[in-house]
Amino acid sequence: MTLNDLWVLLRQDLAQSFRVSGAKGKRTEQRSTLRRLFLPIGAVLFAVVIILGLAWVVPRIGWEILDTLLTENIGTGSSLFNILLLFSFIGSIMISATTVGNSSRMEYLMTMPLSLRTLFLEKTIIVILYSSAFFLVIGTPIFIGLSIVSNAPLAFLSIPTFLGMMVVLSTLGVSIGGLLGLLFSRILAGRRRLKQAGWFIGTSLTVLVSALYYYFIFLSDGFGDILPWLGDILAALGFTSGISPGAATSALSLGFLVGEPIIINDVFLAFLYGALAIVLVNLNAYVSETAHYSGWLASGSKRTSKTKTPVVHDIWDPQTIPGFKFNTAVSVSVWYNITNIRREGRVLAQYLIGPLRFIVIIIFGMFAGGDLLMGFTPFIVIAITVPFVVSYAVSFAGYELVYEGKNLMNLQLAPLSMYDYVIGKVYSSAPFALVVSVGTSVLVSVLAPSLLVYVPAVILSAVFINQAAGGIAANAAAMGGDFKAERIVTRQRGASVQMPIRGWSILRAQLFPNMLGFAGLTAVLGLGQLLGPLFTYLALVPFGLICLSLSRRYARSAGIKLTEKEASDYL
Amino acid sequence: MIEVLGLKKMFNEFIAVDNLSFQVNPGEIYGLLGPNGSGKSTTMRMLLGLLKPTEGTAKVMGFDIRDEIVEAKRMMGYVPEEPVLPQRLTGWEYANYVSDIWRIPRGPEREEELDELLTLLDIKDASDDLIETYSKGMSRKTSLVAALIHQPKVLILDEVQAGIDPRGAATVKEILNGLRAKGATILMSTHVLEIAEQLCDRIGIINEGRMVAEGSMADLRLQAKGEKSLEEIFLSLTGGPDMQKIAEYLGDVK
Ligand SMILES: Nc1ncnc2c1ncn2[C@@H]1O[C@H](COP(=O)(O)OP(=O)(O)OP(=O)(O)O)[C@@H](O)[C@H]1O
Ligand SMILES: [Mg+2]
Repeated sequence: MTLNDLWVLLRQDLAQSFRVSGAKGKRTEQRSTLRRLFLPIGAVLFAVVIILGLAWVVPRIGWEILDTLLTENIGTGSSLFNILLLFSFIGSIMISATTVGNSSRMEYLMTMPLSLRTLFLEKTIIVILYSSAFFLVIGTPIFIGLSIVSNAPLAFLSIPTFLGMMVVLSTLGVSIGGLLGLLFSRILAGRRRLKQAGWFIGTSLTVLVSALYYYFIFLSDGFGDILPWLGDILAALGFTSGISPGAATSALSLGFLVGEPIIINDVFLAFLYGALAIVLVNLNAYVSETAHYSGWLASGSKRTSKTKTPVVHDIWDPQTIPGFKFNTAVSVSVWYNITNIRREGRVLAQYLIGPLRFIVIIIFGMFAGGDLLMGFTPFIVIAITVPFVVSYAVSFAGYELVYEGKNLMNLQLAPLSMYDYVIGKVYSSAPFALVVSVGTSVLVSVLAPSLLVYVPAVILSAVFINQAAGGIAANAAAMGGDFKAERIVTRQRGASVQMPIRGWSILRAQLFPNMLGFAGLTAVLGLGQLLGPLFTYLALVPFGLICLSLSRRYARSAGIKLTEKEASDYL
Repeated sequence: MIEVLGLKKMFNEFIAVDNLSFQVNPGEIYGLLGPNGSGKSTTMRMLLGLLKPTEGTAKVMGFDIRDEIVEAKRMMGYVPEEPVLPQRLTGWEYANYVSDIWRIPRGPEREEELDELLTLLDIKDASDDLIETYSKGMSRKTSLVAALIHQPKVLILDEVQAGIDPRGAATVKEILNGLRAKGATILMSTHVLEIAEQLCDRIGIINEGRMVAEGSMADLRLQAKGEKSLEEIFLSLTGGPDMQKIAEYLGDVK
C-alpha cells in the first residue's frame, strides 16, 4: 500500500463529486456553473454570513457574556460532540466499506494493480469525509467567527482543533460502525432467511444499546452514577470533563476559544483518540479486504446447482396485506415492494431502524428539559410515532419508487395505471406504520393508563399520516428522484454518495408530512384532553379524510410524472 | 405494422436520429443494422414511447405514437438491449410480475403458458433462483419471455440474440419465424450479419441517424453494385476498418 495510490483514488472520487468543469460534449446537458457549484457556493455564503454575523453581533452584546456561557457549557459541548460520534456510528453499521466494494462499478478498480486494502481504506475515508462534511460546514464558520471576536490569545487554535477532532470523531464512529456491520455480515453469511431478521434485530439492538449507553454514561454527571470508582480515578488523574472523545474535543476546542488553561491530559487524550482512529480505519480496511475475499458479502443466494427434480410452482396469488382486496396492479405493486425490500436484509433494517435516530434527539431534549418535561413523557412517546411513520412512507413510497430505476421501463410499456402502482407502494408501508403505532401505544398505556382510551385514535392517526406522507413522498420522488441511483445501502453511484431524492424534493417529502402529522395528532388528542375523548374520535374523521385525499392526490400526480418520464432519465 | 414517418431525436445539441422513415409490414421481419451509436436503440425507444421524438412521428398498427401511445404500446413487446430485470426476484416471480402489470388474468391458463415459454428457452430449471444469479444469456432469455407473455402483434427486439447459446439462438429463430408466419410485425436490430441475412425479409442500414440503404438482400446487392456479401455492403456503406491505423498500432505493440 502506498500513499500515492491512496491519493490517486481519493482525488478521482472527490473530482467526481465536485466536478467543477462540466463535460463539453454535445450529448451532455450543459448546466450553468452556478447550478453545478450550488452546494459549495451555498456553504461559502453560509460561512460568510455566520462569520460576519458573529463579528458584528458579539462585540455589541459583549464577548464576556459568551465567554461565560461557553465556559459553563464545556460539559454540554462534550455531550453534543459525543452525539455526533454516536450518529456517525449508528449511520455506518449498514455501510461497511465492503458494501461499497461490492458495487459493480468497483470491478474495474479492483482489477487495477492496487492492493484491495488501499481501495477499501479510500472508500472508508470517503464515507468519513461525507459523514463529517455537514458538521464541518456548519461548525467551521462558527469557530472562525468566534475566534475572531474572542479575546483569548490562542483562540484561533480552536479552528484546526475543531476540524481535526471532528474528523477523528467521524472516523471513530464510521470505523466502529463499519466493523460492527462486518461482524453482522460474518455471522449472517450464507444464511438467507436469518439475514432478513438478523440485520433488523442486530441494528435495532445496537442503536438502542448505544443510545442508552450514551445517556447513562455521557449525559449523566460523568460516570458518577454507575461507576463511582471510575469517576474518582479519573478525577485523581486530573480529568475534569470526562474522557470520552467528545469531552476531549469540547475541552480543547472550546478551551482555546475562551482561553481556559489547557490540561495536558486532554491533549494527550486527543492524540490517543486520533491514533485509535487511524488504527480502526486501517483495521476496517483490513477486515473489508478479508471479507471481500471470503465472500461473506455475497447476497447469500448461491445458485442451487442445476436440479434435476422438476420445478413446480404454486398458483400465483401472492398475499399482500391480509384482509384487503386490491386490483391486480395495486396488489402486485405492494407485493413487489415488500419482497424487494425484505430480500435485502440491510435495507430492511435501515428503513425500519433509521427513524430510531429521531428518538435519540427527542429524548435528548427530554433529558435536557429535566423534570419539567418528564411529565409529558407519554405525549412524547406518542409524538415519536410521527417521524417513524413518515420515515416509513419516505422509504417505502419515496426511495423505493426511485429505486425502481430501469424497471420504470416495464411499467411504462405495460397498459398499467401508474397511479395504481404508486398507491401500491404507499399502501406497502402501512403495515409497518401500524406495527410501530401499536408499539408506541402499548408503551403509552403502560406509562399512563389514563390515556388508554386514546390508543385506537393514535393508531388510526398514525396510519392516516403514513398514507398522506406516502403520497407526498412518492410525488417528491417522481419530481426530484435520481432514477439512475443504485440501490445499495451506501447509496453510492460511482463514488459519490448520492441521495436518491435530490434537493428541495427531499425537504418536501420530509418536512410537510411531519408538520401535518404533529399538527394533526396534536389537534386530535388536544380536543380529547380539552373536551373529552369523544371529540378525539369526532376529529379523527375529518383528519383521516384529509390525509387520505392528500395521499391520493399526490400519488396521482406522481403517477402522471412517472408516465411522462423519458427513458434517458432512468435507463 | 410499423410506419416510421420522419423521426428525429436530439439529445441536447446532438442529433441521434435524423429524419428517419421506413415501414415494417405485418408478417415481415425487418432488420435494423448500423454501427455503434448510429441510433438503432434510440429509434426503437421512440417507437415504444420511452423517448419523445424531437420531430416526426410513427404509427404502430395505425396508432400514432404521439397521441395514441397507450393503444400503440398495448400492441408491442420489447426486448431491450440491456435486460431490465429486478435482481431480487426469481425468474418465476418476474414472469408473473410482468404478467400482472400487463393485466393478464391470474390462473392456471397463464401459468401453463409461462411454463411453456420458460421450458422452451431452457430456463425453467432456474426459475426459482434469484435473477441476480443468472448468467447473461439466461437474463436475456428471461427478458424475451417477458416480452412474449402478452402475445404482442408487434415485436421490437434490440440485439435479442446477443449472448444466447446456439441452441437458444436456434429456438429464438424458430419462434420468430413462426410468429412471422402468424402475421406478427417484427423489428429487430443486430450486429450479427448472418442472422440478418437468414432471418430478415428486409434490412435497413443506418449510419449517424440516417438511413443509408434499405431493401431486401437482393435489393441491397443491386444497390451496392458488385459487392456480394452483406458484410461487404455494410462496410462499403458505413466504412470499413482502417487497415493503415491498425498496422501502425500493431507496429507499436512490443
Ligand atoms: N440518454 C442519452 N443522452 C445523450 N445521448 C444519447 C443518449 N442515448 C443515446 N445517445 C446517443 O445517441 C446516439 C445513438 O445511440 P443508440 O443507443 O441509439 O445507438 P445504437 O445504434 O443502438 O448503438 P449500439 O449498436 O451500440 O447499440 C449515440 O451517439 C449515443 O451516444
Ligand atoms: Mg443499441
